[in-house]
Amino acid sequence: MSDTVSALPRSGGSPAHSCRLLSIDAESRLFLRLRARVAWSSLRSMLSSARLRLSLVILLSAMFWASLYGLFAEAFAFLDSLHAEVISLLFNAFFSSLMVMLVFSTGILLYGGLYCSSEARLLMTLPAREDSIYAHKFQEAMWFASWGFILLGSPMLVAYGIVRHSEWTYFALLLPFMVSFVVIPSTIGSICCMAMVAWMPRLRVHALTACLLAMSGLGLWLAWSALSSVKADSMSAAWFEQTFARLAITEQKLLPSWWLSSGLIEAARVGANDKERWAALREAISFLALLVANGMLLQLLAGWLATRTYRLGYSELAGEVPARRQRPIGWFDQMLMNAGSAAGRPLRLLVVKDLRLFRRDISQWSQFMIFFGLLGLYFFNARSFNYNNAYASMIGFLNLAVVGLILSTFTTRFVFPMISLEGRRFWILGLLPVHRDQIVWSKFLFSFFGGLLPCCGLVLLSDVMLGLPRRAIIIHEVCCVMLCMGLSGIAVGLGAKMPDLRESSPAKISSGFGGTLSLVMSSLFIMLVVVTAALPTHLFLATHAFGATAVAPGGWLAWAGSTPGIMTSLSAVVVLGLVATFVPLALGLRAFRQLEP
Amino acid sequence: MIEFDHVTRTYGPKTAVSDLTLAIPRGELFALLGPNGAGKTTTIKMLVGLLRPSRGAVRVSGFDLVKDPRSAHLHIGYVPDEPTLYEKLTGREFLWFIADMFGMPRHLATQRIAAEIEHFELGEFADDLAESYSLGMRQRLVFAASLLHDPDVLVLDEPMVGLDPRSVRIVKDLLACRTREGMTVFMSTHTLAMAEEMADRVGIMVRGQLRFLGTVGELREQIAIETTSLEQLYLEITDPKASGPVREFR
Repeated sequence: MSDTVSALPRSGGSPAHSCRLLSIDAESRLFLRLRARVAWSSLRSMLSSARLRLSLVILLSAMFWASLYGLFAEAFAFLDSLHAEVISLLFNAFFSSLMVMLVFSTGILLYGGLYCSSEARLLMTLPAREDSIYAHKFQEAMWFASWGFILLGSPMLVAYGIVRHSEWTYFALLLPFMVSFVVIPSTIGSICCMAMVAWMPRLRVHALTACLLAMSGLGLWLAWSALSSVKADSMSAAWFEQTFARLAITEQKLLPSWWLSSGLIEAARVGANDKERWAALREAISFLALLVANGMLLQLLAGWLATRTYRLGYSELAGEVPARRQRPIGWFDQMLMNAGSAAGRPLRLLVVKDLRLFRRDISQWSQFMIFFGLLGLYFFNARSFNYNNAYASMIGFLNLAVVGLILSTFTTRFVFPMISLEGRRFWILGLLPVHRDQIVWSKFLFSFFGGLLPCCGLVLLSDVMLGLPRRAIIIHEVCCVMLCMGLSGIAVGLGAKMPDLRESSPAKISSGFGGTLSLVMSSLFIMLVVVTAALPTHLFLATHAFGATAVAPGGWLAWAGSTPGIMTSLSAVVVLGLVATFVPLALGLRAFRQLEP
Repeated sequence: MIEFDHVTRTYGPKTAVSDLTLAIPRGELFALLGPNGAGKTTTIKMLVGLLRPSRGAVRVSGFDLVKDPRSAHLHIGYVPDEPTLYEKLTGREFLWFIADMFGMPRHLATQRIAAEIEHFELGEFADDLAESYSLGMRQRLVFAASLLHDPDVLVLDEPMVGLDPRSVRIVKDLLACRTREGMTVFMSTHTLAMAEEMADRVGIMVRGQLRFLGTVGELREQIAIETTSLEQLYLEITDPKASGPVREFR
């Protein structure tokens, strides 16, 4: 620092002489400039240091978008020819469920951004308006909550327009429709969040849990009643009519999802003449205006609420006393610590520590429960779809792949960053009489055994509901064990090989290059395992169990479908699993031994 | 300049700050001392508007932090114990953001940003992203940002954490100079030597109550023990074995 005390002496008067409170417009522009500057810097950093990751993300997104587009285009062509009226129901069901998800996701994200972030703490000490801070953080929360909708919804809506041969106006209106719709549930979520924090800060977790349980219960009931009572064959006209008749609740005209789907259907309508075309466009614009007006009204309400409650809520929340834990050590932890030999105790202690961190991190286990719960619900209803037997084996393997893919997102998101986070606390572990290898092995064991029970349980449920033979169930379970092992090995091994010791956020660690590589490797591994196991098994079931005659006797396909063929493929799966487990682990162990934190 | 008017703040059943009444005039450097959990951070958070008092009022330059927080913030500069920056902004961009947030005229902002960059020797890394800064660099940038709008009141929470000895010396000189020019400084610190060297008055907080308020000289007179060290005086006052009601030394 310079030796002169102050290059610019104090003005001597009040800062009001040189400073002034900004108007709301000026504040909005300032926050906009800030966001643009941060976005530009992030993009430049990514372009300079993470080109591979960026290219991979763009490529995978484009592939995902194109696949979805193809799928939706086929589906709309099929529906358009058979059940054109079903599309309105489909849109309503999709958008209404999306609306509920957006309410919750924006509310939860805004809670983190507005009340728990260091940025909010900084802005609270500056002369910024409460509603400007809210608007700034709301935009961020809305973007994070809804980008999935843009990625999922845009191929669906573009496909719909192309299948219907819609005018250009439909495509021009797509983005305004999507954005104006997203604002409504997002604002409702943010209003609920601010109201809950301001007026019942101590009950916010209970209130949120109650809402989530109520919505999950409603969703379960709707799904159960829609699927369990359908008697017609899957994918037939009657099946669609019966299923969607039970979802007519989503067609309430007061719901923004109905305004959106009606507006889109009107915009996509191809009139026989100019008059009809103008009438359809007018209708579409009326629905868009309805969405925009309601979105703006809700934003006004949210801004008003922020002005009155934000500081109050922030203060109330900061004044909360964390609950004290009554039982220092749970029975399960105690049992785990005491099981086995004394030599293995340090390893078990590390596993118990990770287990405790997992249990106390609501974001981890709630996502785990939601995803695996939804999968369980789907598998539980698998029989209701009345798949033909020829499809059952294939669907069993697809379900196995889905379980693997969901597990891979968890291993990438939560297991991969574990070593990096441990590295930040290395001064604790580094001084303990624990070998570094044990730290890596403890993460692997935690991930492997943590994933094994729910994954094998789900695969068993899926197979039982699909009515697959015992032999197929055994094959699926072996594949599932190998998937759990391999995915844990990849995440832990790469996490130890490429740790990010400077970053404290697990989300940021997992979205770095190492995390992306882990996800890609995991996806490839799942694909390899499922294809290796599925082909011969499917042929076996096709030739033996269900009496199909598609495979010529004596050819290689027949051999692949025979018992030796299946045993060979199963052996290949085991080898793949072992390679995916131990190669990354060996690399990770070596790198972690040499790590200098 | 700073007024705490019968301020109480509770966290559930626990009282973090109890009936604090304190006035700090213009141009005074006040050091708040106390053991961990005494209520210093709560007091500072109320002073910068992060927390609302459960009872009473906090005013800066006559503006109530609850009723008119924005006007009060125009008069406050704040250096928190953990510096918060935008990782994807450069130091210079961060200073411009702060200057714009305080509505500083363009020419004045340009002049002051250049001066603070020079003063805190930020020039070498002012155009690097903040994500590459060390703790000391971050702290210097936050100091620069807090002084940019020439506040009437500077609030410092453990200001010397992360600073090297040279930077500590410069900050001390800066505080002395600014207080002579009329700035009021409210500082929470565990560094007793700094409080002894710099503070016009010290306050010692124990279990949410201001146990002593006055100059270091007055403290020595009241405690009347054979010592010249503030450390021993502090330990005497904050002795946890001295249970029961808090005894005031004023």
